[in-house]
Amino acid sequence: MKKLLRREWQAVWRDPWQLALISYLPLIGVLCLWWLFSAGLPRQLPVALVDQDNSSLSRELGRHLEANPVTAPRRYLALDEAVEAMRRGEVYALVILPYGLKQELLTGHTPTIDLRYNGQFLLVGKLLASQLQLTLADGLQQVARLKQLAAGVNPSQVEVRLSPVSTQTTALFNRNNNYVGFLVPPVLIALWQLFAMLAFAGSLNRELRQDTLGECFRLGMPSVLLSKFVVNGAFMLLHGGFILVLLYQLLGLPIAGQLLWLLPMQLLMLMGVWLWVQGIFFMLADCARVISFCTALFAPAFAFMGITFPTGEMPLLAQWWRLLMPSSHYIESHVALVSYGAGPASLLPQALGYLGFLLLLIPSWFFARRYARVLQSQLPLEETL
Amino acid sequence: MTAKSLSLWQLIWLDLRALVRDKAISLTLFGGVLFYAVLYPLPYLHQVPTEQQLVVVDHDNSSLSRRLIRHADASARIQVVGRVGSIDEAKAWVTDGRAHGLLVIPFDFRRDLLLGRGATLSFGGDASYFLIYSAVVEGLVSAGMDAGKQIQLKGLLASGQSPEAAAQSLAPIKLNAVPAFNKGLGYTPYVVPGLFLLILHQTLLIGAGILGAGQWHRPGYWNRVSPLMLVSARVLAFSLLYCLFSALYIGWCYYAYQVSLQASLGQVLLLMLPFLLTTASAGVALSCLFVRRELPTQVILLVSMPILFVSGFVWPLALIPEPLVWLSQVIPAVPAIMGMLQLNQMGAEWAAIAPKWLQLWGLLLLFFPLAVWGVSWRRRQLPAAAR
Repeated sequence: MKKLLRREWQAVWRDPWQLALISYLPLIGVLCLWWLFSAGLPRQLPVALVDQDNSSLSRELGRHLEANPVTAPRRYLALDEAVEAMRRGEVYALVILPYGLKQELLTGHTPTIDLRYNGQFLLVGKLLASQLQLTLADGLQQVARLKQLAAGVNPSQVEVRLSPVSTQTTALFNRNNNYVGFLVPPVLIALWQLFAMLAFAGSLNRELRQDTLGECFRLGMPSVLLSKFVVNGAFMLLHGGFILVLLYQLLGLPIAGQLLWLLPMQLLMLMGVWLWVQGIFFMLADCARVISFCTALFAPAFAFMGITFPTGEMPLLAQWWRLLMPSSHYIESHVALVSYGAGPASLLPQALGYLGFLLLLIPSWFFARRYARVLQSQLPLEETL
Repeated sequence: MTAKSLSLWQLIWLDLRALVRDKAISLTLFGGVLFYAVLYPLPYLHQVPTEQQLVVVDHDNSSLSRRLIRHADASARIQVVGRVGSIDEAKAWVTDGRAHGLLVIPFDFRRDLLLGRGATLSFGGDASYFLIYSAVVEGLVSAGMDAGKQIQLKGLLASGQSPEAAAQSLAPIKLNAVPAFNKGLGYTPYVVPGLFLLILHQTLLIGAGILGAGQWHRPGYWNRVSPLMLVSARVLAFSLLYCLFSALYIGWCYYAYQVSLQASLGQVLLLMLPFLLTTASAGVALSCLFVRRELPTQVILLVSMPILFVSGFVWPLALIPEPLVWLSQVIPAVPAIMGMLQLNQMGAEWAAIAPKWLQLWGLLLLFFPLAVWGVSWRRRQLPAAAR
């Protein structure tokens, strides 16, 4: 076994691309993606403000919008300009304070404030919709308070009259709605899975490229495969550990459970990826096709993780496809541990979910055996030549 | 066959034939493009999360608290799945995954409200999943506000106000908040337009990469003509093929996935023209870097996710670090995705996206000479005997 491990390691060392895949490329990828999302909390998003009223009230509302850290109002004189800016994607939302806003309010009519937010950029649009409504509602409460006092309501009663039911909303497990805590772990895990897949596929493809598959069969295929998994998997597990340390130690994202328990889960995920790659390799047995097929299979893994769009809402077919991806199994354990503080006892049933990947051993074994027979039948031919 | 006998059309034909005959390329191009058209939007087909499970802690047990729960249950966003006695129990439900949110109704909720003391409702939503969280909170806020309004209305009517005046003072101003462009706030109209352009971009780069990488180390039709001729033919061949794929994606798939379509056909064609030509040139230029056929796919695959996120429709451009945004401007997909979104999904004028259109042509001026130079470099690398 030691000999096989050394054989694999030396082969990796001589192949610059393979070495890059298991050493520095994942680091660069992980750091780049984290940098991209490093802002974490959306702030100062441009919002178009069209003030057609120009009253003390409309200016007051404008100041309220400025005071909100999420919104950065830009004033437009004409509605057309604001609409154009919105179509160009320069502003993400549009607030129109209509002509006669204050007058109508004081004379007991019900004016309408129009608010448009960009649904095409769903993430920003939804955030701005709630922030703008909160801000404007708060600004308007000042007016309502004045009205109540003018109507002769006892000052101590005004607050209760205005909003008898106050609400306290808690974002469980991610207190300040931080996008780094929400989006970055699944993104990095998806990227990590791609790297693992490429490293495993590269290691297997090398035997094909250098025409050493026959040698592998002579050395005992199962132990060669094991040595490949151990060498490449160990490096990938290091990278997986790096992702965890980066997110939950260096960046200090909140974590409820014991970080160490995620490592066995990562190992299981790597095994799932390995079983896939091994099965596809023996089935196709062509360098470029193996990579193409694995890519087609693993590239959409992020969409199927069920973090951005909840699993329960996916169509049944998508939920089945999802189970084929090792990353979707892992991310469930990840969320369970990081958010809910799950311990080994509750991670164990999730670990059993990986058992299904063992089915992939059947095609691997079948095709590998066929391959071995073909290679053996070629061997005497070469010797006679 | 002499060097002069190959015309541009023959070269295009040879390239197309090589694409179709190479199983790795046709698997990526034909298989990948068709497969992804179905697979990528598959999880999002239901568009919006509805009926998220909610667990209720009702300490009040009054007529009002029960009505509040019924109202919450009636909201399309929420489904009340159970009632428990304490917050700890409710939290256990959330961590088990039996519920995604919890609502706590305090002691004496109804009594306090009728006495005019005010009361506080507590909501919690699982913010590990933002879409679930926002669905739970939106549903609960509207149910809670509704309960408050009814109490207010009762109070106002009791104090002798006319029903009209009472309704008026409850809502002095109407906030008319409506989403623009993607009116249903659906998930496929959000993801599909940008993602599909990226799939076209990436598969084209991979196809050109594998084709080139498989050819450079051995002589063939590609070194019988001038590099300029070869690059022109190859760019045209890929562009022709991708006209078909684009027609499928931008014509049929956009329509099928209910993406909002605002631009005219002419404008979309005008935008796609430099996108396809530039991407094909970039593909040929990139292919000169590889001689191993399995490498281009790997490189392109690894940069897909960063390109997707840096293109600015998932995560706002304003929040992406500036250096990354500058770097991304040389990728043809980045200006193309933004241009397409503005033109077709948000209905901007042509003048608004003209800079992005010119940027695509500018990139063509960058990648096309690079491709020609790359091909002639690869030719010099060939051993003299093969030449």
